[in-house]
Amino acid sequence: MPWRATGSTFAGAPIGCKLRHLVPNANMGKFALLVLAVFAVGLAPATAQTTSPGKPLSERVVGYQIDARFDAQKFVLKGSETLTYRNLTGQPLDTFPFHLYLNAFQPTSTFMREVRRDSSDFEWKDKYAASIKIESLEVVGIGDLTSQMRFIAPDDGNPDDRTVFEVKLPHTIPPGESVEFKIAFVDYFGEVFARTGYKRDFIMGAQWFPKAGVWWHGKWNCHQFHSSTEFFADFGTFDVRLTLPQNEIVGASGEELSSVNNADGTKTLTFHGEDIHDFAWTAQPGYRVVEDSFTGSMGAVKIRMLMQPGHMNSAPRYMQALKGTMDLFDRWYGPYPYKQITVVDPPHGGDRAAGMEYPQLFTAETAWYVPKGLRLPEDVVEHEFAHQYWYGMVATNEFEEAWLDEGINSYTEGKIMTKLYGPHAFADLAGGTIGMHDLERYQYRGAADKDPMAKAAYNYMSFGSYGDITYGKTATVLTTLEKIVGEETMQRALRTYFERYRFKHPTGEDFLKTVEEVSGQNLRWYYDQAVFGTKVLDYEISRVRSDRVDWYQKNSAKEEKGKTVYRSEVLAHRKGDFIFPVDVLIKFDDGGQVREHWDGQDRWVRYTYQKKAKVISAEVDPEHAVWLDKDFFNNSYAQEDIGKGARSKLMTYWLFFTQLLAQCLAWLV
Amino acid sequence: MIRRGAKLVWRHQRVLWWMFVANFALALFSALPMASRVSKVADHSLQSHRLIEGFDLAAFVELASNPDVGFWSKTADSLWYSLIFFAFAMFLCGGILETYRTDRKLPTAEFFHACGMYFWRWLRLCVFLLIVLAPVFLFASGVYQWSDKLAEDAGPEMLGFWVEVAGMLLVLLLLMAIRLWFDMAQVYAVAENERSMRRSLISAFRLTRQNLGSLFWIYFRISALAWIGLSATWWMWLHLPFQRTGTTFFLFEVLLAFWLGTRLWQRANETLWYERYAEMRISEPAPVEATAAGPAALTPETSPASPLQ
Repeated sequence: MPWRATGSTFAGAPIGCKLRHLVPNANMGKFALLVLAVFAVGLAPATAQTTSPGKPLSERVVGYQIDARFDAQKFVLKGSETLTYRNLTGQPLDTFPFHLYLNAFQPTSTFMREVRRDSSDFEWKDKYAASIKIESLEVVGIGDLTSQMRFIAPDDGNPDDRTVFEVKLPHTIPPGESVEFKIAFVDYFGEVFARTGYKRDFIMGAQWFPKAGVWWHGKWNCHQFHSSTEFFADFGTFDVRLTLPQNEIVGASGEELSSVNNADGTKTLTFHGEDIHDFAWTAQPGYRVVEDSFTGSMGAVKIRMLMQPGHMNSAPRYMQALKGTMDLFDRWYGPYPYKQITVVDPPHGGDRAAGMEYPQLFTAETAWYVPKGLRLPEDVVEHEFAHQYWYGMVATNEFEEAWLDEGINSYTEGKIMTKLYGPHAFADLAGGTIGMHDLERYQYRGAADKDPMAKAAYNYMSFGSYGDITYGKTATVLTTLEKIVGEETMQRALRTYFERYRFKHPTGEDFLKTVEEVSGQNLRWYYDQAVFGTKVLDYEISRVRSDRVDWYQKNSAKEEKGKTVYRSEVLAHRKGDFIFPVDVLIKFDDGGQVREHWDGQDRWVRYTYQKKAKVISAEVDPEHAVWLDKDFFNNSYAQEDIGKGARSKLMTYWLFFTQLLAQCLAWLV
Repeated sequence: MIRRGAKLVWRHQRVLWWMFVANFALALFSALPMASRVSKVADHSLQSHRLIEGFDLAAFVELASNPDVGFWSKTADSLWYSLIFFAFAMFLCGGILETYRTDRKLPTAEFFHACGMYFWRWLRLCVFLLIVLAPVFLFASGVYQWSDKLAEDAGPEMLGFWVEVAGMLLVLLLLMAIRLWFDMAQVYAVAENERSMRRSLISAFRLTRQNLGSLFWIYFRISALAWIGLSATWWMWLHLPFQRTGTTFFLFEVLLAFWLGTRLWQRANETLWYERYAEMRISEPAPVEATAAGPAALTPETSPASPLQ
């Protein structure tokens, strides 16, 4: 998904980090691996078996061999795909569904219906039109089944949606056997509307080939393409030959094995990727290539950045953020096992392709000028690289449980960015600051009770709600979960989750159970409210009072600090329905303090003290760890007017802007 | 000329402070209820520290969106008080120009008499201004849409951006020239006690067109000083410790007084320019055909040379 889905649009933010493990060049081991890979590709039949020595990292259900020729003038791609599907389902299969994502960019598609539903001012333009046409579909050993293809719409029954088709074979494929599909297809790219397409001479080739659905939990999982959904696919190998004009600079998933110039002015590039579940590519003649490397616990990783000429000032910022993120991910969660990562910087106007993740490749986002204090380029890079873990390797179902990739990613984004750039990681600009957790909580507050996290992405109230809940609420829920299990335990739980489920398709339950297992706690009470529910958490200190015990005496002695006895009461109130145990810290004017623990079960709790000191303040959640609390301002009450400074500051700003506005208006006189 | 204008403003700084106090007081009327609402939520909350020891935008947004604060709904108040200031500035304008023209301290009654006498004329002039500005705004809107389209479709990816920058600069220059023209119409109306704003505008148009270089240079330099002042204040504010609200307040108010001063400075210079222009015109033999039509009949052929030439 684009970096940060919020509101009704796709949208896509610390210096002084100490970068580690910076190695200037890839090592010889990588070269040797490439030679072996070239050799293996040359000899291997069309099979999903591993093409490199050693044990495959994933189950490799699919093997794609695609030969494609791209016409950079017409933005048309003609391809032939050989898909080898291994039936590892344990049962015979005779029906196979395929995604044709590119067909979403038609005015009658479900995708466009939903875009229009959520943005009533959205206008269709012909330049957005894109499609993928199947010219023939043949099953090896069976014959041509083009006529058997049938478009289906499993989610909404839209007869005009052509993003999924299925084909029924005349006989079943037994468990353990493979079936080979040969598909000839043509892509007609439109101007980039969401993720894929062209902009001037830039092309982002994503969701561009017929892709098989996933047999998951005893049935095919092959959803239509929705405006708020992303993707789900099986791991496998990709061998892609891409022919395009020689002046194009190309980046792609996997690793480039060869580049051969043809007599007709084109060149053919060969890529190989393994243990990945998608393949994307990009081309533009004007790219500036910046290369570097990072050495993690599994050796050197080549970093290849394809920059716009006007964005070169962002290249060091991208690089610093990427290396910092790779380092922390390697140490905190696990190694990045691939040998290359490609960063694509889309051009001005092509930002609808920006902030998107693909295996071993992602698109970043910047502008010709972004102030250093606004860490949007860094944040997008962090977020999209992190998807190599939460989507790329831990390949959850983005249609049905988007919180697992976008939400967990947003949570780790907050952790990594804060570690790299400090508490004001997102923005520290012109006197204003924003931290990452604040940004996530801001999103959450916008839609706190609209939808639960655990919901299919295409069933949210709106695209805005999808973005706020999936990104903002999930990150806030997990940051709050840290309070319950502890930061170190949470990190361990994520590492365990990653190690256990990389190259697999885990569910939300798998994640939740892993946290319970690692923490040794039963967390259902929290999950039921936070993950599966829409309850809102809001605690307040509704009263703080200190009263002399001899209040009834008309001629009582003058108050004397340290001698007069007071009866003090503090009333804490649970305003929301979300029940969460919290601490309440009460401070007295003699320097003493009391920490109470409240289970939050009742609507309110009263604490009463009798001592020779007055209460000066009371605060729920004094560590500010319960980020799910919707209102932080009512969490505390101080007897002293401590808000004077804030009030004066706001009043000063307000005065200034009103006076300035008045003077500007008076310019008309 | 520029220095003489500054001295004129300084000599009659009373009008500057009058305007400043009105500007401040009206904004205060808008700010006090807002502060009172903020007070309800923030005064006793420890969360307020996030706004005192810095300016945490997340805390600010949370506070602003609190139903008890209703921050955004209060922005309408600012607009209303700004409109009152607009009317007040329009009212004072006649007295100010008369003060600058005569270069003497007008008795209060005389000052307000001039204010009242010209108020309705300025109102009519303001309507003319809005009519003149309409095509400029249409042009600005057209540039904006065109640059948007270029940014979307043109081959060079930065073309749209540069078209927008150039377009907005052009609009800015146009707005300044139009304001200068209308300023001169006001100066002319006061100097010649012209009741017809249409005639004032026509005469001022000719005057401004014939002397655009010298007049615009005066106007532009003072405007530039105002913008430099704003930038300097911005820079100083960024380097102030966050807790220094008092210093911030002082800095902002100094800037606002300076901005008002620069606007009056433009007025003073325009008045001086016209007075000198009128003196030169009188010192030359009057053309026979000009007597009936008066100054409104000035043509490029009959008008004297610019006093700044």
